[in-house]
Amino acid sequence: MPTWNPKLSRRQLLLGAGASLMLSGCEKFFDSISQNKQVQSLLESAEGASRRAQRLLTRRGKLAQEFSPADISPTFRPNGNPPPITMDYNADAQSHWTKWRLEVTGLVEQPARFSLDEIKAMPARTQITRHDCVEGWSVIGKWKGVRLEEIMDRVKPNAGAKYIIFRCMDTDSDGNAYYESIDLVDAVHPQTILAYELNDRALPVDNGAPLRLRVETQLGYKHAKYIRALEFVADLKSIGQGQGGYWEDQGYEWYAGI
Amino acid sequence: MEKKSTPTAHSKGALVYRHNRVTRLTHWLSALALMILFMSGLQIFNAHPRLYWGSTSEPEKAFFVIGAAQDDGDARGFVELYGRQVDTTGFLGVQPGLFGPMARAFPSWLTVPGYYSLAAARRWHFFFGWLLTLSGALYVIYNLAAGHLRKFFFAPRDLRKIPAMIAYYLHLRKTSPQEGEYNPLQKMAYTSVFVLLAPLVLLSGMAMSPQLDVAFHWLPAAFGGRQSARAIHFILAFGFLFFVLGHVFMVLTQGFFNNMRSMTTGWYRETVPTPARSIEARREEPAPEPAASAPAQETDKDADLES
Repeated sequence: MPTWNPKLSRRQLLLGAGASLMLSGCEKFFDSISQNKQVQSLLESAEGASRRAQRLLTRRGKLAQEFSPADISPTFRPNGNPPPITMDYNADAQSHWTKWRLEVTGLVEQPARFSLDEIKAMPARTQITRHDCVEGWSVIGKWKGVRLEEIMDRVKPNAGAKYIIFRCMDTDSDGNAYYESIDLVDAVHPQTILAYELNDRALPVDNGAPLRLRVETQLGYKHAKYIRALEFVADLKSIGQGQGGYWEDQGYEWYAGI
Repeated sequence: MEKKSTPTAHSKGALVYRHNRVTRLTHWLSALALMILFMSGLQIFNAHPRLYWGSTSEPEKAFFVIGAAQDDGDARGFVELYGRQVDTTGFLGVQPGLFGPMARAFPSWLTVPGYYSLAAARRWHFFFGWLLTLSGALYVIYNLAAGHLRKFFFAPRDLRKIPAMIAYYLHLRKTSPQEGEYNPLQKMAYTSVFVLLAPLVLLSGMAMSPQLDVAFHWLPAAFGGRQSARAIHFILAFGFLFFVLGHVFMVLTQGFFNNMRSMTTGWYRETVPTPARSIEARREEPAPEPAASAPAQETDKDADLES
C-alpha cells in the first residue's frame, strides 16, 4: 500500500514519469491519429448518425421536461467568453438597451430591426428548463422570451433558408466574435425562444443580456448569448471557418443534441 | 495423482470449434471499443471532474471530486468522496508535466486523446459508442438465432454450483462442477454483463443527451436525474474495467494460447478436467451398441447430478 506524501516527492515524480513513458507510446499514437484528417472525418461520421437517429426517435414538437419553481438552481452558472466590454455595450446596458436593435437579415422576404420593447410586446413564453453544458454540469432556470417562430412569421424566410446564424457581441481574447447556428427543425420547436428574462428578472449581463437563445434540445454552447443579429442562410460554409459556430470551428459537433 | 488418472483430459483434449465468426469479430471490435470508450470517457470527465446526485450540479453538493489544491505553493492532487480526501498527487488531480506539476483529473496516459481536448474525446466516444452498440446488437441477434447464447446464460440452477466452482478455483476441490462449455462463474459474469452492465451503461449514457431527454422524459428520471445518470455512467464504466481485468486475468491463467487461438481461429482444445470417474468409465467401456448405450448414459447423468 503506497503512502502518498502530501508534497510531490522526487520518487513519485519519477514513478509517474516512468509510468507515463511506458504508456506514452500508446498516448502518442492516439494523439497523432486524433489529428489525422482521415481519422477525424471517420470519427465525425458518427455525428450524422446521432442526429438522424435521435431526431427519428423524437416526435416533432415534443417539449423538453419543464420543472417546478422549487427546482430552480440558486445560481445560474455562466460559462464561455466574458461579457462584451465595448463602450457601446456598457453604455447601452446602462440605458436599458434603448440603442440596441435585433437585426434580421439574409434569405427573408422582409428584413427587419426590432427594439427590445418591440420584442417584449410580442407573445411571450415562460419555461423552467434544465441547461446542460458540454462539460457535464447542469443547472435549472426559468426563462421568458419570444418564440423564434414569432420572429420568423414576421420576416418570412424564403424557401432556400435552411439555417439561422446568431451573431453575438461577445468575443474571445483574440477578438473572434461568438456566433452559432441552428437549423429550421430546431428553430420552430415550441420551446426555442429568444429570452430576455431569467428567473423573473431582466436577463443579467453574465447570462447574455439583452437577448439570448434557448434551444432546449441541445447543449449549452448552442445557446448563443449577447445576440445582435439573426441571419437566414442556405448553408454554413461561408461563415466563420465554415463549421457553423464559434465552438464548432474548434472541433465541437454542430449537432449538440448528444 | 489426478494427472495420472486423467491423462487424456489434460494433455491432448479434443479440438472443438468454439467461437463462430460473428462472435470472434464482435469480440475484438468490442474490446477495441471498450478500451477507447473508457479512455475517452475519462477525458470527458476531466472537463468537469465532479459527480452529483439529482438533476442539477450545485457546486457544493458534489459527492465525488478529483481536484487540485495549493499547499504552501505546492500543487496537491486529491480524490474526495463524501468529504473525505485522499492525496493522489502524481496520479490523480496533479500529474508531472514537462514544466512541473500540472493540474489534471485523470493523467494524460490514461485518456484518449492524451492532450486536453473535450471536443476530440467526444468524437472518439460517440463513434465507438455506436460501434460497440452495433457490434453488441449483431452479436446478440446472431447468437440468439444460432442458439449459442443459451450455452452461457446463467440459470437459477447454476446458482447452487457457485460455491463448488469457487472451491475448485481455490484448489479446495479436485473436480469442477462444470457442465457444458461454460462454468457457473463464467455464466454469471457474462450474463450480468449482457443483461445489466451493457444495457445500463448505454441507457445512462443516452440519459445525458438533451435531445433524447426531450424524446423520453423517463430516461433521466429512471436514473434519478441527469446528473445521477452521469454518476452512474461513470461508476458502470469502472464495472466494465473490472470485468475486463477479470476476463484478461482468466485468459492469462487458464491457457493463454489456447484461449487466444479459440478467439481468433475459433478452435479450442478441451482442457476442462472431466470428473475422473466418468473418464475411466468411458475408457473401459467397449464401444457400445447404439441400443445398449442409451440406459448407460442415463445412469451416468444421474450420478453427475447427485454429486
